[in-house]
Amino acid sequence: MIPAEYLAGLGAILFCIGLVGVFTRANAIIVLMCVEIMLNAVNLNFVAGALHHGDVTGWVFTAIAIAIAAAEVAVGLAIFLALYGEHESISLDDITNLKH
Amino acid sequence: MGESKNPEMKFLIPIGLLLLFPFMRIYGGEFARGSPFDALESAFLIPLIPLLIFPIIAILGQVYNKEDWWKERFKEGGMIAICGLAIALSLSVWLAIQFFTQGTGDEDALRWNLFNWISFDVLGQTADGTWVTMEQDIALGVGIWVDPLSLMLLFVAAFLCFLICWFSLGYMNTDPINEDRNHRFYAEFVLFSAGMLGMVLADSFLWLFVFWEIMGLCSYLLIGFYYERPSAAYAAKKAFLTTRVGDVFLLIGLLILYDLYGSLDYAVIFGDPSIGGTVDAGMLKWAMLMLFIGAVGKSAQFPLHVWLPDAMEGPTPVSALIHAATMVNAGLYLVARMVPFFDVTAHGSGVEGLGDVAIIIAWTGGITACMAAMIAFVQNDIKKVLAYSTMSQLAYIFTGLGVSLWLFNNDHHHAAVIAFGASMFHLFNHAMAKGMLFMASGSVIHEMHHAHDHVSDPGDHDDDFDAQDMRNMGGLASKLPVTATAMAIGSASIIGLPLIGGFWSKEGIIAETWSATALYGASWMLFPAFLILLTAGMTGFYMTRMWMMTFAGKPKSVFAAHAHEATPWIRTPLVLLSVIALLGGFLLSLLGAVHWLGEGESLGSALGHDGTLMTVLETIKHAFLPADTFLLLITWTAVAISLVLGPMMAMRIHGGRLAKGESAHVGIAWLLPLSTRFGKSDVTALANSGVADALQRRLFFDEWYDAAVAATVIPLANVLAWFDNRIIDGAIRGIEWGSQSISGEVRKLTTGSARDYILMAVVGTLSIAALMWRVAV
Repeated sequence: MIPAEYLAGLGAILFCIGLVGVFTRANAIIVLMCVEIMLNAVNLNFVAGALHHGDVTGWVFTAIAIAIAAAEVAVGLAIFLALYGEHESISLDDITNLKH
Repeated sequence: MGESKNPEMKFLIPIGLLLLFPFMRIYGGEFARGSPFDALESAFLIPLIPLLIFPIIAILGQVYNKEDWWKERFKEGGMIAICGLAIALSLSVWLAIQFFTQGTGDEDALRWNLFNWISFDVLGQTADGTWVTMEQDIALGVGIWVDPLSLMLLFVAAFLCFLICWFSLGYMNTDPINEDRNHRFYAEFVLFSAGMLGMVLADSFLWLFVFWEIMGLCSYLLIGFYYERPSAAYAAKKAFLTTRVGDVFLLIGLLILYDLYGSLDYAVIFGDPSIGGTVDAGMLKWAMLMLFIGAVGKSAQFPLHVWLPDAMEGPTPVSALIHAATMVNAGLYLVARMVPFFDVTAHGSGVEGLGDVAIIIAWTGGITACMAAMIAFVQNDIKKVLAYSTMSQLAYIFTGLGVSLWLFNNDHHHAAVIAFGASMFHLFNHAMAKGMLFMASGSVIHEMHHAHDHVSDPGDHDDDFDAQDMRNMGGLASKLPVTATAMAIGSASIIGLPLIGGFWSKEGIIAETWSATALYGASWMLFPAFLILLTAGMTGFYMTRMWMMTFAGKPKSVFAAHAHEATPWIRTPLVLLSVIALLGGFLLSLLGAVHWLGEGESLGSALGHDGTLMTVLETIKHAFLPADTFLLLITWTAVAISLVLGPMMAMRIHGGRLAKGESAHVGIAWLLPLSTRFGKSDVTALANSGVADALQRRLFFDEWYDAAVAATVIPLANVLAWFDNRIIDGAIRGIEWGSQSISGEVRKLTTGSARDYILMAVVGTLSIAALMWRVAV
C-alpha cells in the first residue's frame, strides 16, 4: 500500500507543475490542460485524505470532480472556439478584453 | 387688472368673514363656557399661519406664474397672503380681548407652553477626569408669552401687516416692472410677518433671536427685490451686514445671560425672585450692553444707522412695513424687555449699578435723534426724508427707555413707569403714523410714475426722471387729495401737534427726560434731554418741508401737473390709519395707555373714577398745565419750537399757494394760504454751504466706514484669501494630486490578461494561508 503522504506529495508537485504551466504558456489549450493537471492534483489530495482517514467520502468526491472536470473541459473548449472566431487566435497574450 | 369702479369690493366679503371668525367662536358660547380651545392656546397660530402660507405662495407662484386666474383672482399670491394675515390679525384681537376680560391672574404674563423643542443633558468633567452628567433634561421649549408690552406690539404688527398687504395689492400689482414676480414679494412678506409676530409672542430670548434673524433675512430679500438694480443689491447687502454686526453682539449677550441664569426663558429669568441676588452684576452689565448693541443694529441707531436710508431701495410697502412700522421696533422691544434686570424698586428684583448702560442707551438715542433730523433737512428723496425721520423718532423711544431704565435702577418707580409707558406709547403712535406716511409717499410715487408713463412716450424708461424726487413734485394737494390729507395728519402726529397721536407720547418722553435730569439728579441725562428738545423743533421743520415741497405751490414738473389719484386698494389703509393717527393717541391716553404699558394697570380704569368728561379735562390739564413749573416750561418750549418755529421756517422756504383754479381737500386747504404768510427767505447761500454739503453726504459716515473697512477688513480678507488659496486649497489639491498618481499606478495592475489575475489570486491565497498559519501555530 502506498502511504498517504506520498500521494499528497505527488499532488503538491503536480499542482505546482500545473501552476507553472498556467503562467508560462500562451496557448489557451495548453493552459486548460495545465488547469486539468492542477485539478487532478487536488483529486489526489482527496484520495490521500480518504486513505489517511479510512473513509470513502474522499473517493466519492474524486469521482464527482472527475465528472465535473470532463464537463468543464467541454465548456472550456467551446469558449476557445468562440474566442477563435472573435480574435483569429487563442493565444492568451492577445486576449486582454477583461480590462474593459 | 379690471378697472371697475371699486375692485376692492368683491374681495371685501371673504376677508371680512375671516376677520370675524374668532368672534363667532366667542359669541357662539364656547368662550363663556370656558372651552378648552381659548385664545391663548390658539395664539401659536398667529405666527404659524403666515409661516405655512410662505411656501404655498412661493411654490404656487413659481408654477402658475403666467396664468390669468393667478393674476386676477389670486393677485399673484396677494389674496392668499391677506387672508392669512386677516386670520392672524383676528386671532391677535381675540387674544387682546381675552387679556382684557380675564387678566393675567397672579402671573406677570399669560403663558402657554407648547412643547419642548430640544432637551438634552450637560456633560461635565470632574476633577479626576471622569465625565458625568452635570445637569439633566435641560429643555429648550416653545411657548407663548403675553403681557401688555407684547400685546401692544402684536397688535401693531398684525394690524399693519394686514393693512400694508392691502396697500400692496394696489401698489405692487399695477406696476409693470413687477410683472411675474409679485409672488416672491408676497411670499417674503408673509414670512416676515411670521417672524415679527413670532418674535413678539416668543416666551424666551432664544426664540426671540430665531425670529429676529428671520426678519433680518426677509429684510435683506425685500430690499433686494429689484435685484437687477446695482444700488438695490448693494443696499440689501449693506443692510444685512450692518445688522449682522449688531446680531453678533446680541448672540454674545444671550450667551452671557444663559451662563448667568442657566436658561433663556423669560419665565425662568424674570420669575426668579433672586434675579439680582446671586448674579454677577458686572457680567450682567456686559450682557445688557451686548443686547443693546443688537438693538442698535436692528433699530438703525447711531453708529449702526447707515443701512436704513439705503434700505429705501426696496418697494415702498416694504419700507412702510419693515423699515418704519415693525422690524425696526424689534430693537426697542428687546430693550423694553430688559426692564426686569434694571428694576430695583419694591416690586422688582433687578441688579443695582446698571445705570451706566441706561445712560449709554439715552445718549445713543439723543445723538441719533438730532443727527438724523439734521440729515433729513437736506434730503430731496421723499422716502429718504421719512427714513431719517423714522431713525429720529426711534431714537426718541430709545432715549425714553434709557431714562426709564435709569429711573428703575435708581428706585424712582413712579417716574420710571411713566417714562416706560410714554416710550412704548410713542412706539405705537409712531408705527401707525409712519406706516401711513410711507404708504402715502408710496401713493405719491406711484401716481408720479403713472403720470410719467402717461405723458412721455409709453415704454420710454430711459430718461433719468426720478419719481421719488420732491424737486419734481409740488402742487399735488389738489391732485391727490386723500394722500395729501393723510400725509398732513401723519406729519402732524410725528411733529406732535397738540391732541393728535404722537403729541401725547412725545411730550411724555421729553418731560420725563427733563424731569429725570432736573428732579431725580440724573445729571448725565442733560445732554440727551437737550438734544431731544432741539430735535422736536427740527422735526417740525423737516416734516413741514417735506409736505410743502410735495403738495404746496405750483407743479415743478409736467408730470406732477398730470398726476391723479386712481389706483384702487391704496386709499382704504390711508383713511383708516389717518383716523387712528388723529384720534388713537387721544383715546388711548384717556384710557391710561401709559400706565397700562408701564405697569399693567388695567386699561380704562381711570375712566371709572370720576366720569368721562372730568377724565378728558384731567388728561388735557395734565398734558398742558403740569403742576411743576419746570415741566410746564419744558412742555411749552417743546410745543413752541416744534409747532411754531420749525414749521414756520419750513414754510418760509417752501410754502406757496396752489396754481389758479386748483383746490385742495377742505381739511388742509387752509394750510396753503397760511404757508405764504410768513414771507420768503432765500436759502441759496445756506444750501450751497459746506454744512449742507456735509449733510447731503450724510455726515460722511459711509466714507468713514468704507475707509475703516478698507484699512482693516480688506487686508485681513486678503490674508485669509491667501490662506484659503494656498493652504486650504493647497491641501485639497495635494490630496487630489496624490490620489491621482496613486491610482495611476494601481491602474497599471489591470492588464486584462487572465494570467495576471490568476497570479494575483495565487499571491492572495498564499498570503491568506501564510496569515492563517501564523495564527494557527
